[in-house]
Amino acid sequence: MNLPFDVSRLKASAAAMKDSIAKGAEELKQQGFDKKVHDFWYGKPHGERRLGDLYAGKTGLYKHREWRGVKDTMYYFYMIWLYNYITMVMDLMKYGGLVNFAKGVWRYRWVGQTYLPVLHWFDRGLEGLRGPALAASAWHYRGMVNSTIKQFQRMFEADTRLHGGEKNEAYWHTIAHNETVWGGVFYPWSDKFANVALEMIPYFVTCHVNSHTVLNYIDAVQSIGLPGDPCPMCQAEAGIFVQDDVPDYAPFAIICNEACDASVATSNLQDWFFDKPIYALPMPMLFDDPLVKKHCMAEIRQMWKFIEDQTGVPFNYEQLVKKLKLQNELQEFEWEKWDVAANTESYPINGVAQALYRIYQSQYGDNDIWHFCDKKVRKIMEKAVERKTKTFPNTRHRVIAWSCAPLYYSNWCTWAYNCWGLNVIINMDSLMFNMTIRTDNLENTVEDMAQYHMWAPMRRMAVGGMKHMFELWEYMEKFNCDMVAMYDQLQCKGVQGLHGLFEDEFRDRDIKAFWIPHALPDSRTVSRAEIRRLINDYMTTVMHEEPLDPSLLEFDDSMTW
Amino acid sequence: MKDLKHLIFFEDLLQEANNDLVKQGKADGKRAIGYTCFFMPEVLLDLPGCFSVRLRAPRCTSPDIATYYMSARTCHYARSLLERALEGGYNFLDAQMATETCTATCRFQEHLQQKHLDTVKDMRIIENDDFFVEFSDVPFKKDAISIDHYAEQLRFHVLQPLHEHFGIDISDEALREAIEQQNEVSRLIREIGDYRKLDNPTITGYEFHVIQLVSLVCPKYLILPYLRETAEELKTREPDLKKEFRCKVVLSGSENDDPDFTKLIESCGARVVADRYCYGSQETRQIIEIREGEDPLRAVARHYLEQSICPRFMDQHEMRARKKRLADLCKEYHADGLIVASNKFCEYWSYERVIDTVIMQRDFGIPVCSIEKEYINAASGQLRTRFQAFIESVEIKHIQKGAQS
Repeated sequence: MNLPFDVSRLKASAAAMKDSIAKGAEELKQQGFDKKVHDFWYGKPHGERRLGDLYAGKTGLYKHREWRGVKDTMYYFYMIWLYNYITMVMDLMKYGGLVNFAKGVWRYRWVGQTYLPVLHWFDRGLEGLRGPALAASAWHYRGMVNSTIKQFQRMFEADTRLHGGEKNEAYWHTIAHNETVWGGVFYPWSDKFANVALEMIPYFVTCHVNSHTVLNYIDAVQSIGLPGDPCPMCQAEAGIFVQDDVPDYAPFAIICNEACDASVATSNLQDWFFDKPIYALPMPMLFDDPLVKKHCMAEIRQMWKFIEDQTGVPFNYEQLVKKLKLQNELQEFEWEKWDVAANTESYPINGVAQALYRIYQSQYGDNDIWHFCDKKVRKIMEKAVERKTKTFPNTRHRVIAWSCAPLYYSNWCTWAYNCWGLNVIINMDSLMFNMTIRTDNLENTVEDMAQYHMWAPMRRMAVGGMKHMFELWEYMEKFNCDMVAMYDQLQCKGVQGLHGLFEDEFRDRDIKAFWIPHALPDSRTVSRAEIRRLINDYMTTVMHEEPLDPSLLEFDDSMTW
Repeated sequence: MKDLKHLIFFEDLLQEANNDLVKQGKADGKRAIGYTCFFMPEVLLDLPGCFSVRLRAPRCTSPDIATYYMSARTCHYARSLLERALEGGYNFLDAQMATETCTATCRFQEHLQQKHLDTVKDMRIIENDDFFVEFSDVPFKKDAISIDHYAEQLRFHVLQPLHEHFGIDISDEALREAIEQQNEVSRLIREIGDYRKLDNPTITGYEFHVIQLVSLVCPKYLILPYLRETAEELKTREPDLKKEFRCKVVLSGSENDDPDFTKLIESCGARVVADRYCYGSQETRQIIEIREGEDPLRAVARHYLEQSICPRFMDQHEMRARKKRLADLCKEYHADGLIVASNKFCEYWSYERVIDTVIMQRDFGIPVCSIEKEYINAASGQLRTRFQAFIESVEIKHIQKGAQS
């Protein structure tokens, strides 16, 4: 049979085609396998991670943790997850024992509701990080956890409510104070007394870990007639007293104006519930005036006299100097960190770890754990700088965060980096205590301590003179930032009072800036999803950019801790 | 009661910050010095050659531009002041003597500052080349070191700038003269106010509120003749035969320069017999005493700290003493109850109002009506209902007490 084509040739051609397809398929398969191996070993590259797919609906909990590559996943499991669970138990045993802790959990809702979610707090803050950034940021978290346990365990150890009304040795050797009284003013007694802030753990730390805990306290103070518009931080601080949820752990207290009108008023309200001797150590309002500093020095001296009278223990200058020198070491390392953050791409600490650790450390004062963690971070940072590691390789914008941050969503900057490549380099809270303290003689020491005290959280910039709020431009330049995340604490009268001027200046200076409205601890006023939506809108409509990880654009985490 | 001769004139003076007497004072060649808070001692701004004007923004109900600058979430009073300033209503001012005694008014006054920062634009709100703003720090306590500090602040941030900018005489003699003038105003206002202690007062709370306000916003030397005449007139004023009120109340709280608010309370059946609020007379119209060996400036500093029962003070004993002083005020003026009113977004008074509401009833047995209000009270219907209910409850208590006895 004569066919119009050569069958043998056709067969050969088909066979060749089949081979070619098989080869192509094999190559493709081979390539996919390599990719899988690569992703397994190193973790997926930034654009392919789809971190939003990991969340279980509404809860913000992970279906499973992110695979960060072998090395980083193992580091996360052993050096972060396991290490921190173990050290959290060891810390409890070291600082007061498991019995005191169990009693405290039973009595105070703020500790029970926040102890177990701690590792989820780590997860939220460290999401998507790799290498030095993961390690260094985690050490900052470790420092905060240790310090927190140390403080609440001291409260429980000394608490008369947990010991049948007995005022034990720990009670008589503990000084209570408002959370924005710098711990350093108690250094002269630090060899004999512990100082623990009244609200730092029950309110401030808890709402970072579990945003639902604090809502109860805000509602409590409003239930006795307080309107909803004063600063919600102050409301929460007053609410823990209304709910009688503050341990009775010290015979007297040092209070302050915590830098705003609502805080003064909160102290007044707390006094009616506290009913113990108190000394008011206000932060002067106009701290640039040398005369004001002179007055502040006299106030500090007068407070020391009050402590001497209350405790019967004299002021110890040697102890003060010893502790201040240690604190100065912490500050000097902080400056090194800022230098790396400002001038390199190898700064290994993400926005949330930088902000929280710094404010916690600088407010609390010297503590062994800060030195321990700083040593670890120094090693990581020096190595990253030496190797010129790009610790946040997908940075599109270097962001400075200004004004007071949302406590219930302090990890927004972790999300912003993963979703949009917005890398928060530095924030206002970190920059407040920008000084070391002279220890050459008492006069100089007190003068510097007064300065430090006056630069209190929120006072220095947010409600200090207008001039200090507009230091933003200077720091923006210093840290080489090209964008501003402007926190808009809806109930902070000091910042709200300058809202329009900031709008004008952003326009006149052609500065890229987005606002983050929030109500400090109260996640009901502006939800986390709303904050994300506003940033998404800005990045798409103003910046015309595409997200790095579209799965993070919208998700419901309303029920998450 | 027969109308007071100067009441309509006084009411007219309250319609504008730059009123007829202020204009006359300026025409006399004196400098107009603005301030907002009790803690800026008006007596220092009334030195020979200048006069004090406590800032108000009458009839400002919609501070739109100020809301852009200070947001809708700050005190309406502070925003109204900024709005009035932006409208040009304070261009007559030669200086603003500022305090950071509450955050919102501080921010308002910072907006007025000109050419003081490179980092933010100069808004040049006050159209007056001589105009300047100077801030003083006010302590939170009343102890000796706080008084010394306050006196020093007043010397460096009030007296010296007035002297340097306008050549004002700030000698001790000049200070004594200003104190004497203020004491005369205070004596007259107290004399007028004391008629509220009568069983059937011969002055209403509204009338007194108006008189007190004009003494704060007009040059002292120009308002004094009218005050003297009014005090004289009241000596013979006959009360109405039938009481026009059903109970007497003390009005306490935050900033209040709106006499219509007092009128509203009185229209519901109460008589406001004492005024303990910012702009009220209880603190501003006490006699300044210069003690033996004390220099006049320190006497002023001591006076202003000691007389104040502002919720700003943080000393433990002060927090409690001001409740006692409020209770004493109710007793002294034979009040049946207490109305505590705080301006919305005023953080000091939001808390103080809560504490007063609990403590005054619990520890002193004084009925309390707790109100949150705006600077200018548009919601008068709701407030009227609240006041009427409170007055009825006080009446019922009286009836029950009568039945028991």
